[in-house]
Amino acid sequence: MKKQQANNKSKHKEVLFHESAEKHVTGKAVYVNDMNVSSQTLFGKVVYSSMPHAAIIKCDISKAKQLKGVHAVLTCEDIPGENQMGPVFHDEPCLASDRVTCIGQAIVLIAADNEEIAREAEKLISITYKPLEAILDIETAMAHDSKLSPTRKIERGKTERSFRKAAHIITGELRSGAQEHWYLETQSALCVPGEDNELTVFASSQNPAETQAIVAEVLGVSRNNVVCEVKRMGGAFGGKETQGNHVAAWAALLANACKRPVLIHLFRDDDQKITGKRHPFLSHYKIGFDDDGYISAYSVDLNADAGHAADLSMAILERAMLHAENAYFIPNVLITATAWRTNHFSNTAFRGFGGPQGMAVIEHAIDRIARYLKKDAAAIRYINFYKFPYYIATPYGQRLDDIQLQTITDKIITTSDYIKRKKAIDVFNHNSSFIKRGLAFTPVKFGISFTTAFLNQAGALVNIYHDGTVLVNHGGTEMGQGLNTKMLQIAAAELGISAKNITVNATNTSKVPNTSATAASSGTDLNGMALKNAVDKLKERLTPLAAELLQEKFGNAKAGTKQISFKGNTVFDKRFQQNTIPFSELIAQAYLNQISLSATGFYKTPDIFFDRATGIGKPFHYFAYGTSVSEVEIDTLTGAHKIIRVDILHDVGRSLNEKIDLGQICGGFVQGVGWLTTEEIKWDAKGNLLTYSPDTYKIPTAQDIPEIFNINLLRNSYNYNTIRGSKAVGEPPLMLAFSVWMAIRYAVSAMADHRFDPDVDIPATNETILLAIEKLKLLQKKVQ
Amino acid sequence: MNVVQFILDDKIQTINFDNPEYTPTTTVLKYLRSLRQHKGVKEGCGEGDCGACTVVIAELAEDKLYYRAVDSCLIFLPMLHGKQLITVENLAGASGELHPVQKAMVDAYASQCGYCTPGFVMSLFALYKSRVEATKEIILDAITGNLCRCTGYQPIIVAAAKAMKARKNDIFDKKEAQTIALLQQIERSKTIGIITSVQQYFKPFTLSDTLKLRSAHPKAEIISGNTDTGLRVTKRHELLPAIIDISDVNDLKFIKITPEFMSVGSGVSMEILKENSKEIFPALYDILRLFGSKQIRSIATLGGNLGSASPIGDSLPVLIACKASVVVENKNGTRRIDLTDFIRSYRTTDLKADEIIYSVEIPIPDPDTIIRSYKISKRRDLDISTCSAGFRLELNKKSHIVKNIILAYGGMAATTKCALTAEKFLKGKVWNKTNADKASDIVFNEFTPLSDARSGEEFRRLAARNLLLKFYEETASQQ
Repeated sequence: MKKQQANNKSKHKEVLFHESAEKHVTGKAVYVNDMNVSSQTLFGKVVYSSMPHAAIIKCDISKAKQLKGVHAVLTCEDIPGENQMGPVFHDEPCLASDRVTCIGQAIVLIAADNEEIAREAEKLISITYKPLEAILDIETAMAHDSKLSPTRKIERGKTERSFRKAAHIITGELRSGAQEHWYLETQSALCVPGEDNELTVFASSQNPAETQAIVAEVLGVSRNNVVCEVKRMGGAFGGKETQGNHVAAWAALLANACKRPVLIHLFRDDDQKITGKRHPFLSHYKIGFDDDGYISAYSVDLNADAGHAADLSMAILERAMLHAENAYFIPNVLITATAWRTNHFSNTAFRGFGGPQGMAVIEHAIDRIARYLKKDAAAIRYINFYKFPYYIATPYGQRLDDIQLQTITDKIITTSDYIKRKKAIDVFNHNSSFIKRGLAFTPVKFGISFTTAFLNQAGALVNIYHDGTVLVNHGGTEMGQGLNTKMLQIAAAELGISAKNITVNATNTSKVPNTSATAASSGTDLNGMALKNAVDKLKERLTPLAAELLQEKFGNAKAGTKQISFKGNTVFDKRFQQNTIPFSELIAQAYLNQISLSATGFYKTPDIFFDRATGIGKPFHYFAYGTSVSEVEIDTLTGAHKIIRVDILHDVGRSLNEKIDLGQICGGFVQGVGWLTTEEIKWDAKGNLLTYSPDTYKIPTAQDIPEIFNINLLRNSYNYNTIRGSKAVGEPPLMLAFSVWMAIRYAVSAMADHRFDPDVDIPATNETILLAIEKLKLLQKKVQ
Repeated sequence: MNVVQFILDDKIQTINFDNPEYTPTTTVLKYLRSLRQHKGVKEGCGEGDCGACTVVIAELAEDKLYYRAVDSCLIFLPMLHGKQLITVENLAGASGELHPVQKAMVDAYASQCGYCTPGFVMSLFALYKSRVEATKEIILDAITGNLCRCTGYQPIIVAAAKAMKARKNDIFDKKEAQTIALLQQIERSKTIGIITSVQQYFKPFTLSDTLKLRSAHPKAEIISGNTDTGLRVTKRHELLPAIIDISDVNDLKFIKITPEFMSVGSGVSMEILKENSKEIFPALYDILRLFGSKQIRSIATLGGNLGSASPIGDSLPVLIACKASVVVENKNGTRRIDLTDFIRSYRTTDLKADEIIYSVEIPIPDPDTIIRSYKISKRRDLDISTCSAGFRLELNKKSHIVKNIILAYGGMAATTKCALTAEKFLKGKVWNKTNADKASDIVFNEFTPLSDARSGEEFRRLAARNLLLKFYEETASQQ
């Protein structure tokens, strides 16, 4: 849907709404579970482990197989290919064989005529376990030395020596909790078998190429037999970067066994019970600083609960390490990090990808420095920022060539009226015994690129048909973030035609192969550039013909290639702009002149590398920056909090679509607030997830957003060497929510006049807040 | 006749349960998902907690259509009988022009992944049709039952405000007469009895029919809003063999106010009760504001909330503080039971097999009596309480001596329970900080609550203690 913007200076500028918005609001947008490929489609069901760690003594499926309406009951023995679905390490069986290592691990698959029969069949399956000792938290994993991989390290300077010299040292511990993605569309896949080994997978996956690869692997066929298509996802947030592969592999096995289409669409409770979450972290730190609050040394030990399999844990841990210093230049740094194998579901990607867990620790430390020195925390943050010209090197040796921190901080401190409001809050707190308020500022610096350098590549395929319409294919996937809208805009801008004449197709591995996941906020950066590359190729082919046609038609001297311009649905010679040929006419002529109207595009991010052994490199193409100021109020009798006001200033370079970027910031922020406040993952002593439905797992509602919510983009920003000067926006805003957590900590600490550190980790639930207040009251009493 | 009828897509749809495709406990969501042209309705959770399956039901009352948003995952097909079912596919005009709420959503970039969007559109559509003035509070209340994980809600709120500001007649107004005529064709007075080989589902329309059915089928589940029993089907996949659906028994939907009491029929929805209690029982209003979501409150009934006797039933503590009593009825007559006696134990009431809850009588307190309600939950809205309370305080005006006090707590035991020791301690004492502090310490030790998904037991004790302190602070400042 496109609207011509009235009175715009540039006649060619179109405002694009979300490309699927009209389909969303009318219910016409199709998701995997809505597809109607055949009346023969079977219902697929997964039977999973009820034990966190156990030997499977017996698995009897004979009765289930005989039930009328059941078409297949499969165990690991029925897998024709390899029994594995780990994306990086091959340590995650597709179906458990003799041992289960987490609750929710798939053991048996059922295909039946419908859901009811599948459920009946499940009741007929009997699995006998012999329980084994289970590791259900990081501490137990540490005690058992249950490391997923050796501890990793990034070090700069002489941390130990500078601790000895430091005027002040604080040590501490921080726990951050898991987070459930709670995409509205649960995991789904529809597999349709074709001739011979052919199989089409309609997936809800951020990584169709990997879904294709894993499906081929479990089926034991080569990848050219499997096509994976992703039209759109009903939310993903990292939860479908690898976890979407699992349902696809299961549905593929069933479809292959039955030679009929099979749909798996997980029920919410099952989805919550069996899929991985954001990694919980347990971190220990030590920080050295002087009387003014300048930080001289920081050592941090990050520990992640990886769950029972590697999944993406090592990459997530790496990003946590690469963000351990957030926006602060710290001369001496020692970062160690370990992923621990436990008997939980395998934790996975979630917006921020370890970045939030790493950054939370330094923010926690700085908050404590401020309290220790009795200074304003925003001031401590500010003086420790990366700064030109000397303080620009990260602990891993990448030099920052664009630092927006001071600019956006100066602006937001002013626009949010931070200083005056902070004073007012202190007065308020002094006069109010049960209600306390907090105000906090936090910055975000977030590295953009996959830290596994080779993943930074993308492809596109652009077809122009001889009626002048254009079909764009690219390797990225649409999960709501507006990627397809931006791709439409890029194609329109680069071809100089209206977006009305362009369509973006479903992502399909047979059109654009070997793509990377749409992740790491890089969807537009990578695919946008690949798309531009394809368009450039097409324009290069069309330009000589255009010059000829213009000369023929208008009789001017023939234009050189650089003088031909594509704009306003026309092509013209820049010297004679009034003499134009419609784009569609050019295309019709190109076809008659036997010019290829289809081109592939490719892009790889230049000059990035990272050496994991030395912990040195340039892992990021650039950095995204943002700041926020949040004010909260807490009821110290109930632990309830509310967010009164939030101001955000975020740098997205030159925005490709402001409304879509603002939407990412708003949504990311609120999702961050959820992780930091009400979203709590709890298990019982036996390892059963207690919070497995929205009844007990509470993501923010419309009532939980700030009463006053000001979000602004940094003006006049331009990012060099990216598509049309833009910056990635998917993940960074999530971490802007730290200001809410810090404001809560401030409000709690006001209970004891900021004399003690409040025990408020992540998430700051009402329970956490109330227990922290009780602790402060006791400390206060002891001192008196 | 194993048949129910309702309007969908401007036509009377007849569901015949002799055809095994649908059972009487098939949810409206399942039904809609089985139709090729209504896949816009999404399942997000199957328990009324996300609103992705929100549809609108239009009902005829006094020659007018009333629209309300409901979670289609909680409603059984027969509950639609005689009503109009409206889904997201029905909102745009014949030539595709968007309904104003749809247009506003597009313009405000209020959809991202789009999966929750049909539900939001329907909640906003119901608000649009309600014609109530759409303040920010009203808008937020209308969409609290819809979860969105992408947008952060702000664009949706903007869209809602814009659409509500420019309300005008829409296609539903144009079709109103036609819809009413269709609805009037559907017979709605004789009890519907749906008998299949495994289930019996009765849908009476009068109290006397209900009582006859109750006496004939003492083991049948009584449902009205189905917000609790429905989960046994959607989540636990139980087969409910016998059901008496009283959602359309108008005899149970009265609110009677006299100088002495407010009498509320057991079939009154929490939403209607909320609106009616605003002036007379502000403490009840306060708790109902936080009760579920608008979708839930529109169907959940007071009778259901009491009848399920859940330890975390939101209305119980405050009703106990109000000294409410329950009137139950069978074929032979009625009897009145104090609410405290009505709740026997965990999810068990004093209701006899042939009785139904007829009404709840809430005495109007004298002006000096202070009644307050509190709810503590992890998330403020659409959450089950971790700890809740209803307090009543009667003071001697001059001496500030406590004449009478009720401290009723939810979430602290297997049933709603009063802090009797603390009550006893306070009776006859001066209502001051020292005594409130002492009483709150008693409350802390009075219960042995559970640790569960919602909180640990220590938090529950602290919360219970603090609520009394909060009550003291609020009442002390009032004096």
